Amino acid sequence: MSATSLSASPARRRLPLELIGGWEVGLLLFMALLYIAGIFINPKFFGQPDAFSAVLRDTARFGVMAAGMTFVIVNKDLDLSVGSTYGLVATVFSIAFSTSYYDLGIVPSLLAAIVAGVAVGLINGIFVTVLRVPSFITTLTMLFIGRGLVLGLTGGKTISYGEKATQNGAWFFSIGETNALGFNNQIIIFILVTIVGMFVLAKTRWGYETYATGGNEMAASYAGIPTRRVRIRGYVLSALSATLAGLMAVAQDKGITSQYGQGAELIVIAAVIVGGASILGGRGRLLGGALGAILVTLIDKVLREGIPMTRTMKVGGVEMQVQGMAQLPPGAVPAFLGLILLIAVLIEPWIIRRNVFPRLWARLRGRPLPPVIEVGGVAIEGAQTKGSSASDRSMRARGPLGRFFARRDAAAIVLAVVLWVVGLYLRPDFWGSIDNTFNLMLSFTEVGLLAIGMTYVIANGDIDLSVGSVLALSAATCAFFMKQLGFDPWTAVFLALLAGAAAGVVNAALTVGFGLPAFVATLGMFYMARGIGAWMTAGRQLSAFPESFNLLGRKLIDILTYLGIAPTRDTLLYDLAAAVSVQTIFMVLVAIIAGIVLAKTPFGQMIYATGGNRRAAEYAGINAGRVRAISLVFSALCAACAGVIYVAFLRSFNPSAGQLRELDAIAAVIIGGGSIFGGYGTIIGALAGAAVIALIRALLSLQIILGNGQSLVMPQHWVNVFIGLILMVAVVGDIWLRQNDVLGSIRHFFLARRKSGANHA
Amino acid sequence: MPEKAPLLIEMKNISKAFGPVQALRDVNLRLAPGEILGVVGDNSAGKSTLMKVMTGAYQRDSGDVLVDGQPTHFKSPHESRVHGIEMIYQDFALCGNMDIAQNIFLGRWPRRGLFVDRRRMYAEADSVLKRLKVDVNSVFQKVESLSGGRQQSVAIARAISFDPRVVVLDEPTANLSVMATERLLETMAELKQHGVAQIIISHRLTDIFEVGDRIMVMKRGQNVGDRYIAHTNEAEVLELIVSGTPETALTADQALAAKAA
Repeated sequence: MSATSLSASPARRRLPLELIGGWEVGLLLFMALLYIAGIFINPKFFGQPDAFSAVLRDTARFGVMAAGMTFVIVNKDLDLSVGSTYGLVATVFSIAFSTSYYDLGIVPSLLAAIVAGVAVGLINGIFVTVLRVPSFITTLTMLFIGRGLVLGLTGGKTISYGEKATQNGAWFFSIGETNALGFNNQIIIFILVTIVGMFVLAKTRWGYETYATGGNEMAASYAGIPTRRVRIRGYVLSALSATLAGLMAVAQDKGITSQYGQGAELIVIAAVIVGGASILGGRGRLLGGALGAILVTLIDKVLREGIPMTRTMKVGGVEMQVQGMAQLPPGAVPAFLGLILLIAVLIEPWIIRRNVFPRLWARLRGRPLPPVIEVGGVAIEGAQTKGSSASDRSMRARGPLGRFFARRDAAAIVLAVVLWVVGLYLRPDFWGSIDNTFNLMLSFTEVGLLAIGMTYVIANGDIDLSVGSVLALSAATCAFFMKQLGFDPWTAVFLALLAGAAAGVVNAALTVGFGLPAFVATLGMFYMARGIGAWMTAGRQLSAFPESFNLLGRKLIDILTYLGIAPTRDTLLYDLAAAVSVQTIFMVLVAIIAGIVLAKTPFGQMIYATGGNRRAAEYAGINAGRVRAISLVFSALCAACAGVIYVAFLRSFNPSAGQLRELDAIAAVIIGGGSIFGGYGTIIGALAGAAVIALIRALLSLQIILGNGQSLVMPQHWVNVFIGLILMVAVVGDIWLRQNDVLGSIRHFFLARRKSGANHA
Repeated sequence: MPEKAPLLIEMKNISKAFGPVQALRDVNLRLAPGEILGVVGDNSAGKSTLMKVMTGAYQRDSGDVLVDGQPTHFKSPHESRVHGIEMIYQDFALCGNMDIAQNIFLGRWPRRGLFVDRRRMYAEADSVLKRLKVDVNSVFQKVESLSGGRQQSVAIARAISFDPRVVVLDEPTANLSVMATERLLETMAELKQHGVAQIIISHRLTDIFEVGDRIMVMKRGQNVGDRYIAHTNEAEVLELIVSGTPETALTADQALAAKAA
């Protein structure tokens, strides 16, 4: 969105500022200021002329990705997978090209990389359009699958081929070089892509179709625009630009690390939104995206470069000046980028549509205020899409078994039992033991706890992408206060829960108060919470906490022993207390309370009503905003509890705590009968779903002893890829089997055919 | 007919603007107990806006809304409900994921202690549906699996379970089959017998002429005429819709007097 189209009356449009677009000019001004600030803070880096070209060079890759992302966002979609695609493409190219792997020529390697990129785009597009899976779920899963693939393919190792690059395909690797004119060739590509993209989006049918689809998809499809194809095209363009960016990166580095492209999606999405695109679709310009990319990369650079400072130290009675850099710890930068993303998303609806600056200016001059552009309680959220009207299968169900299978959570319960039996069949020696059962319970506890909170949020028709990060934030808070500041465990636990609740309150304020879609608000928190956690602990692992705290993650017997009231050995009570852990008891308690509230009380009914039809709920006097806010805070609290338990159980805090857990929790709720569109979900189902996830993880990491005596364990990266696939299958299955009853329609179709066939005979 | 009971609802000189758009300008509306009033007019005539001002979904810029002669300032539809005003929305405003009984008691589920009293809820929902003579399989059926006509029956059942004095129906026949429309009109007549006043917003004059007592015509946010059904015909109403002006608007009584003269 540019300020031109909204704030200008015809008379004012002649002003030069309006002609070039006020938004872009503002971006340029802000950038110049930031650069000057950068020079002021860090003259060593930003003072050099090279720095300018270095910033542009690093921007080039993000700028290219922003071009593709602009199409997706204008289409009213979202692509969280660009960073993964970027890494995956670089990995595929490197593996194909590297002498230590396939050692292919430059052209086949490039082809392989492009095929991989296009495949990602097509898969994204088809899942979002044809299979109607919400875009953030599809591309978030693709993000994790891509990351798992990169780790799995590289085995976490660095690949480099500087030697081969000089002999083979020098023309390709020259992309990453500085040219005769003194700047990097990537900058030329960035400018070319931006110009071509601007032309396509502003002047061609493709661009017009994109704006129409994003503005009002239904109207566009009534007008004969193949909106499905337009949206798939957006995803393919986005994946292609990520492919190009990935290839630019390998051309520059002549090698990869397994961390390639991590977090790139955040920079790219923030760039496009900062560049003036609306997350609600239909608005956005490529030039804005490109400028946004420069701005966000610049901010990223300023944050990462750190401030040089001189510290005076006394060494052996002599004062010495030590040069040092005050730097943000690794992992903290996303906290700022997430914040920028959220602020940028809020600018369009709250500053521009409300004409805040012109109104302020008019008020200062005592002129009549220009009108607010949109009034009448227009929510900035997109319309809630429902699956479709389903036939009520429970009305056809007969007998207790039929009634059980008509339940939405039946599949999860059956699946959990089946998976357990499979485990027993594969490793009867190990699986059947009490120990293993309770170890399973442990991994189940974390997912279960997150899934309980997530059930509330999903039943409301919202989503919480931040649970894994909030878990990390609360774990970090707990560890930090105990270890660094020496707080006693209970205060630390209280503060950790407080931090989690605060994250939930921010989520709630952004979704309910500011009307952002829940996935955008919690996506911002996804980066912010983990970043703040990493910042607090300076990206390090913390361990060695008081034993009284660690008891939270121990078995019941340890507590009883600690308190000196342990039962004697070899009694049933002793065995039981030795088997059950504190966290499992806690999780079961939370589950029972949350389950009763959701199923039996008016508050639970309010949640289902809000998720089913928010407008109807509000007409009926339900404060839907309050219900949604409470659910989001509850979800964050559950995640915070899981974080505290994590630290107590592992006796240490690791900054990667809870990574991918949001995926597990969402998958658990969907498998357990929740609907991604809201209105459904039970605690029993979510727990069964969490059991399914825990069992799949356990099964996949089971050591299988092959016939020839070798044993086989699947690496964790591949397990994550598999969990991502499970989530996709669960969401697609929910939309098509539970809600649209595809099986029923197929049965009907064949029954009708048979009947008509019989009539013919 | 001229000698009337005191008015149930009276809206006087209502104005409402959305930014630069003047949606309502000095509109008046009168509704007697047990009366069925049809509100007609072109698109953008302000019919729905007027109803939303009445129920408190929108806040008026100026004018008065009197209920039983008392001035009111409803902040939300919830407050007008307390005064016995119920609105049935064009899309019925039901939660498809919940069953019929849960929808009838949406937002005011009967409780026992902390919990929802399910037995009472289903029993009372059943009796409301029986009173309406709606044939649904059971109160346990999910609303999204019902046809449009049945969904509307649920919406009406929900409205009358509040024992309202006024029911506002927004385009009630727009999404219904002929059969369902017939049944709806019967229901409306029955409600009238129970003394429930109704306001029906519709494009279909035939429906209003079948059950209505009075018809009010709006155009571009203003009153352009008001007639008793018994003393007018579709042609006259169409004439008003197309070429009526606020200056030539007559109230139903004035029109009757003019006709008699």
